[in-house]
Amino acid sequence: MAEKTVTLAHGAGGKQTSELIDQVFKAHFSNPQFTADDAAVLNMGEGRLAMSTDGFIVSPFEFNGGNIGKLSICGTVNDLSCMGAKPLYMTCAFVIEEGFPLDKLEEIAASMEKTANEVGVKIVAGDTKVAGKGQVDKIFITTTGIGKIMDNADTSGTYAKPGDAVIVTGDVGRHGCTILLARDEYGIDADVDSDCAPLWGTVESLYTVTNEIHTIRDATRGGVGTVLYEIAEQSGVGVRLNAADIPVDPAVKGVCGMLGLEPLYLACEGRLVIIAPKDKAPALVEKLREGKYSKNAAIIGEITADNAGRVVMETEIGAQTMLPQPGGELLPRIC
Amino acid sequence: MNEQAKKARDIITNYKGRPLRIMEVCGTHTHEIFRLGLRKLLPENVELISGPGCPVCVTPVGFIDEAIWLALEKGCIITTFGDLIRVPGTEMPLAGARAKGAQVRPVYSPLDAVEMARQNPDEQIVFLAVGFETTTPSACLAVETAKKEGLKNFSLLTANKTMPNAYNALEGSADAFLYPGHVNAIAGTEICEELKKRGVSGVVAGFTASELLTALAVILVNAEKGEPFFVNCYPRVVKAEGNPSARELVKRVMEPCDTEWRGLGVIPMSGMKLRDEFAEFDARKKFGMPKITGKPNPACRCGEVLQGKCKPSDCKVFGKVCTPEHPVGACMVSDEGACAAYYQYGGV
Amino acid sequence: MCVGLSAKVVSVKDGTALIDANGAKREVSADLLEELEPGDYVMVHAGVAIAKITESDEDEANDVMENLL
Repeated sequence: MAEKTVTLAHGAGGKQTSELIDQVFKAHFSNPQFTADDAAVLNMGEGRLAMSTDGFIVSPFEFNGGNIGKLSICGTVNDLSCMGAKPLYMTCAFVIEEGFPLDKLEEIAASMEKTANEVGVKIVAGDTKVAGKGQVDKIFITTTGIGKIMDNADTSGTYAKPGDAVIVTGDVGRHGCTILLARDEYGIDADVDSDCAPLWGTVESLYTVTNEIHTIRDATRGGVGTVLYEIAEQSGVGVRLNAADIPVDPAVKGVCGMLGLEPLYLACEGRLVIIAPKDKAPALVEKLREGKYSKNAAIIGEITADNAGRVVMETEIGAQTMLPQPGGELLPRIC
Repeated sequence: MNEQAKKARDIITNYKGRPLRIMEVCGTHTHEIFRLGLRKLLPENVELISGPGCPVCVTPVGFIDEAIWLALEKGCIITTFGDLIRVPGTEMPLAGARAKGAQVRPVYSPLDAVEMARQNPDEQIVFLAVGFETTTPSACLAVETAKKEGLKNFSLLTANKTMPNAYNALEGSADAFLYPGHVNAIAGTEICEELKKRGVSGVVAGFTASELLTALAVILVNAEKGEPFFVNCYPRVVKAEGNPSARELVKRVMEPCDTEWRGLGVIPMSGMKLRDEFAEFDARKKFGMPKITGKPNPACRCGEVLQGKCKPSDCKVFGKVCTPEHPVGACMVSDEGACAAYYQYGGV
Repeated sequence: MCVGLSAKVVSVKDGTALIDANGAKREVSADLLEELEPGDYVMVHAGVAIAKITESDEDEANDVMENLL
């Protein structure tokens, strides 16, 4: 390829399109199922399947700890994993803005390959469209995944029961904080990197401890706070958190302090919220702390019968208050 | 919590003296008090009232209309503290104007708006200058900087306010005030001493758990003695003389004027506007703005809430038509707003 | 009304201070404070250092409570 950027010709379906597919995507996504035909043909065998799709438009497309490619694999892998499903196959669709640097596209594809390989998920089909300058913001990726649910897994946001423990698999708000800093709108500098990670291994490890896991959710957009409100609503229960037990990186706390933001509402891309019976929780946390993406796992609260639909926080002065309900865009609060 | 903070908490939870109404004047106090669940610790005979100290909440509807006029009619880029973006104007909030093509950018500091003006010489940058004694110096610094550098594309839309005359308007609405620590960091504590001479009690309070517990304990212990009192409970930040350089800066750039407070009406000489020497940085003058009068929603009782005359839950639209996602009044917008705080943290 | 941030001064140059709050760093105006030095603690509001402060709110609580009781 002579050009150094993606052009409209790359999306026209002709020779240049094949070149782009061969040299960027086939080079990175090669596997026996990767198809040149109109659809991939898969043999899934017996059992229940889980399927999920997600679009990614993060700006900037590169950030501390990852890029939009890694994110697009992690997002769908984690959605499947939360259902106890081992991710098997994925498809990805790119919408690329005319003029996007080819070496960056190559880097993105390479991160996707690396992340997919780590999980053992195969990318079996893809699509590329090129949009005119200004029609999209650099690059958008949509991924769809299919996975096989383990026979011993049965999780849902409706299964949380009073007396269950609430576990989070690491410190909260890192991805959201990283993106906020990467946009450089507020002149703040901090050593924070995204928690973006594929969590199938993390979920698999939980089931070596017990099958009694009621809910697993990945806390993406809206953060852990939003996920907890969703679970409270779906299961018709209350959530009581202990403020002192919620892991937050000091620098994330610093940035939030500067802008008046609540870390529980900043996005994560590699953190699970797990609801499981209280007597199983310590062993689960112990197991999680052995995993590379969940070293700071902690029990942060419990499910209650009272305050149904609400998330209540036990504060540092020993009083209870409600966690503000999620809503609207995150705006820094200064005065 | 350390030992002293525990002691302070015990004083608060065990208070058995006369009934007391304490007004926190500052919106950040309101916010922190709710975040900590401090109200839950108070005995029944102590009531905390949220006062008019959230600049977003006291900013009148017409100010938002003025900002939208600058954005849509004059094509200015509006820079603002984040909270103002969702405050309802007569027809829409700034967020709504954004959907119609207005450029609205949240900034951390007015100095960042000056930087935006430097980098975009072909755009007109307007900063929405709201806030009290604490915040006004930053806006004045921005104007002085812009003047020094000869920037022609930076201006302020001012709605700055000062507390002293508001205290007069609030006199009698509480037995003691939690004074806004960061206002006093600039203004000093002379005014608090004067208020004490007039029989108005209060303490300057900080914002952390230990500072708020301490300040409330100090109020309760002193209230039992029956005499008017003033105690600076935030000495690590607030000095008696305040910050004289900040006050001189404000005096150089701005002068007092009458101003409208949402809910309280016009309070004479309680606002700040740019002096004539800085007219070129006054967006109203610079862009020949016509007189714009906002029309607030008549059902909204934010005004009475701000004066402690009614609780948010007494308002007919509270929690029904008026929610943080669809605020009717400004008190529902800012996290600091009394209504938003009641909505978010109340009822537990 | 005024969210303040207590932070440590890392460096000062030409009326601008680099401050650090738990690892979050930003440049703020040092114009309103005299003789600011690295290592000082300041209260920052809207990008301006408004007061030189002492770091610990707990020490302060101790002092205030001791005077009270």
